[in-house]
Amino acid sequence: MPPAVVPPARALPLKESALFKEVLHYYEDRQLKKGLKTADTILKKFPNHGETLCMKGLILTHMGRREEGLELVKQGVRLDLTSHICWHVFGLIQKGQKNYEEALKSYTQALRFDKENMNILRDAAHLQTQLRHYDALVETRHTLLRLRPQLRQNWIALAVAYHLNGNLVEAKNVLEQFERIVKNVPDYDIEMSEILLYHLRVLEELGEYSEALALLDANAKSRRIIDRTAIMEFRARFLSKLGNADAQQAWQGLIEQNPDCYDYYKGYLANRGVDLDAITDETRGIALQTLRDFSQQFKRAAAPQRIALSVATGDEFKSLIEPYLRARLEKGVPSLFTDLKALYRDASKRDAIESAAHALLDSFVHAPDAPCPSHLDPTTYIWTLYFLAQHHSHLGRHKRALELLDTALAHTPTLPELYMFRGRVLKRCGDPYGAARWVDQARLLDLQDRFLNARCGKYRLRAGLIEEAVDVFGLFTKKDAPSPAQDLEDMQSLLYLTEEADAQLRNGNFAMALKKYAAIQKVFDDFEDDQFDFHGYSVRKFTVNIYLNLLKWEDTLRSHPAYVHAAIEASRILVKVHDDPSLATKSASQSHLSEAEKKAKKKAKKAEKKVQEEAKKASGSSTNEDKGLDASPSKDDDPDGTKLLQAPEPLERAAKLLKPLSTLAKGNVEAWIAICDVAVRRKKYLQALQALNHAHSLDADHPELHIRIVDFKRRWSSLSEKPSETVTSVVSSSFSKLLPDEVSLEHFNSQYLQRHPSRGDAILAAAKVSRILGAPREEVESAVFGALNATVELTFETALAIDSFLSEIQSPREDEFRTACKQRFELSTLFEPRDKLPELRKSAIQKSIVDTNEEKDEIIS
Amino acid sequence: MNIRLARVDDLMGMQACNLQNLPENYTLKYYLYHALTWPQLSYVAEEDGKIVGYILAKMEEDVSEGDEPHGHVTSISVLRSYRRLGLAKRLMIQSQEAMATVYKAAYVSLHVRKSNRAALGLYRDTLGFTVKDIEKGYYADGEDAYAMRLSLKHLAR
Repeated sequence: MPPAVVPPARALPLKESALFKEVLHYYEDRQLKKGLKTADTILKKFPNHGETLCMKGLILTHMGRREEGLELVKQGVRLDLTSHICWHVFGLIQKGQKNYEEALKSYTQALRFDKENMNILRDAAHLQTQLRHYDALVETRHTLLRLRPQLRQNWIALAVAYHLNGNLVEAKNVLEQFERIVKNVPDYDIEMSEILLYHLRVLEELGEYSEALALLDANAKSRRIIDRTAIMEFRARFLSKLGNADAQQAWQGLIEQNPDCYDYYKGYLANRGVDLDAITDETRGIALQTLRDFSQQFKRAAAPQRIALSVATGDEFKSLIEPYLRARLEKGVPSLFTDLKALYRDASKRDAIESAAHALLDSFVHAPDAPCPSHLDPTTYIWTLYFLAQHHSHLGRHKRALELLDTALAHTPTLPELYMFRGRVLKRCGDPYGAARWVDQARLLDLQDRFLNARCGKYRLRAGLIEEAVDVFGLFTKKDAPSPAQDLEDMQSLLYLTEEADAQLRNGNFAMALKKYAAIQKVFDDFEDDQFDFHGYSVRKFTVNIYLNLLKWEDTLRSHPAYVHAAIEASRILVKVHDDPSLATKSASQSHLSEAEKKAKKKAKKAEKKVQEEAKKASGSSTNEDKGLDASPSKDDDPDGTKLLQAPEPLERAAKLLKPLSTLAKGNVEAWIAICDVAVRRKKYLQALQALNHAHSLDADHPELHIRIVDFKRRWSSLSEKPSETVTSVVSSSFSKLLPDEVSLEHFNSQYLQRHPSRGDAILAAAKVSRILGAPREEVESAVFGALNATVELTFETALAIDSFLSEIQSPREDEFRTACKQRFELSTLFEPRDKLPELRKSAIQKSIVDTNEEKDEIIS
Repeated sequence: MNIRLARVDDLMGMQACNLQNLPENYTLKYYLYHALTWPQLSYVAEEDGKIVGYILAKMEEDVSEGDEPHGHVTSISVLRSYRRLGLAKRLMIQSQEAMATVYKAAYVSLHVRKSNRAALGLYRDTLGFTVKDIEKGYYADGEDAYAMRLSLKHLAR
């Protein structure tokens, strides 16, 4: 109940009270200047009127004077702590800053002083949903419904609140009650249709299939549900669950409507007792017969034929794969290999594919001096060569792949796919410069194709040519953006941000790398914020089913590989900075650039600054313009990332980044290793140990885990003062399972090496541990040189890591190692002498941007 | 190649596909707006969990008095490596069907760059769109657009 007597500081005489009402109206109509003026009139006489101060602050915020506005609002609240208006305004401002926790507190305060204010209740409901306070949400929605039961939304919103809070039965009850009393539903009402579809979902989740089917049939007949596809899908699922004979017909109907949808074939076959994911010898026959029939019925659908390939085995498979390959090679389908790739898990299928493809190839071989077909129409021969190149490269036979590609290129030098794949093969062989050059050649064949452009940019980033990559991307980014990089960041291109961050990291530029990883983090923060408006919107539109799916997706948002990768890499940088603070103060741009490149960089920076200044001038500020409550995007005041790198408390920031991973990336060993690294430095030994245990259960032999086990033991043993008794006892008992107490670290290390004598990464890990344990440099060196033995499985990535390690320990044998690697990895260019780098970098560009820009303009005009 | 209704989980993949193929890009919120307003209209082509093609569609909101409801294709594209499979056509057909049956759309419209011969071929020759208008300077880089239209009366039930 609002206080019976208005506190003296709040009450205004008639004249000012009327003026205050005007302020509220002006605000609602966004007549900001008038509102401001009127507020000032009141404040002249009553400078401490909290509510007016708050309204003025709110108006100022809308006008863009955010800091001023916020100050006034805070002042106003302090002067009138029991005013619902003050708290409401404060909540609005905080909500605009995306400070949802604090906003909800303000709204809760506001509700204490005006329990039945619809606006405040509604905003509170949105905040409660955002923050996942579902108990409170149910209460708020109850109040809203009680206050306005005539509003359809309020019923549905209450049902949704129950649903979110895990109470499906209550959700169902609310819906049933609603449907009983709702009147005047127009024919063909999309909103009612969506409500009913939601009701069906609730029934499905409750497992009440009979009731669901009855509701569905009644409303489909009466045309109350108008989404035909949804009707059919629900129906098929319900009938199947009920073992109803009509189910087969229902699935058939779905396939007829969309013969390309795998789910429908799955459903049809499941209904006949065939689980496509667990085919047995008994079910195989039915499955193949069914798929054969569907292939006949829907000749142009690829799905039944492709599914049959997954199901069939042995000779049956062979009889199916040959026509499947032939048809697509004749059509010239570039994605044929990726289509079939999943089948390669079965070695016999892989071999059958190889034989069939080679047989086809043999039938196509024609004389080398036969006339080349017109450049617009590559032949089946070329596509077969292309397919086989992908096949062999996938199986590690890169030289063979290159031979096949070169044959194809000699016949058809104008097919971008050939150049692109040749680049990809070189990338796999450890030649990023050659790879970039070939992809650039592909790009030049069709300057209007953004896909080729994007690939070229990506390959340049992989080769460490960051500025050249951004130049190429810039051919397709918005011309009025401050820079191509900014446009890609604004458009939330995770691909670009990830690749550039990784490239900066490889180049040793920790500041810029961290900056780009932080940009990725921000994209995910924005994705999380995006849902907010839909808490109100979706209830108003009644599109509940997809709204619930939105919330579900948001709940596991940061399980996305791009976030996981960014969090892990950023945390590694922060750990490095913690261990060696001098890294943050060293020159941020560890340049690998030559003098000419440095000059070009300076020029580009100047041009960029010019564009930024012009853009600033263009957005002039008109005085009555409503800038809204959303926090304005901040200017980039840390262009080279040094501020971010030098920011305090790197470990705390790293811990925050990694936090979601412990639930959302539970199966990722590297995530646990990263968590351990941060925890152990924050002296949180239990957390670190828990992380080690998780890693161990996932991959007990992981090389990085091995290093961390040793590292943990050393840190723990060297503690002059052990933490509490409980912690100590848990650590002691748990850790001994990873490393038995009686085993010395040296012995543990040699045991590990003995278990994995032919793994290059294990050899490196053991060598690193030796070094940590104080072994002399020569001993460590010869250990890693062991990785070069012919019997050892050594990838070029591991070889690079060994090279890095040798450089770290200032080994005089580094060049020797690189030379040996150069021999071992024939096609790689990563082990060339360092002075060759500028030449290699230059070779990665086929043609400069200036030249290609002119060509592009010619084509368009 | 799996062709199915777009889900919320697919939107990031659609955005990535769009960024790789087309110069007209959008923030994720715009994709969310489409999916949460017209959940029946957007479709994706998916292979092994990756979005290789999509159609992002809506019903036109600015409808003047007397105008029939009509659908609009905001964006449609397929990754270059997945062309020649008729994916764009299949995506378009599924979306059109939904526009007609759920929203009683009388026709569907879209914009295409004057110079985009491949797309023009798809819309005009394969799908039966006709050019209604030329909108000068429609695109951010100043290029003109063909405003195209296709009647959906044949799909009415």
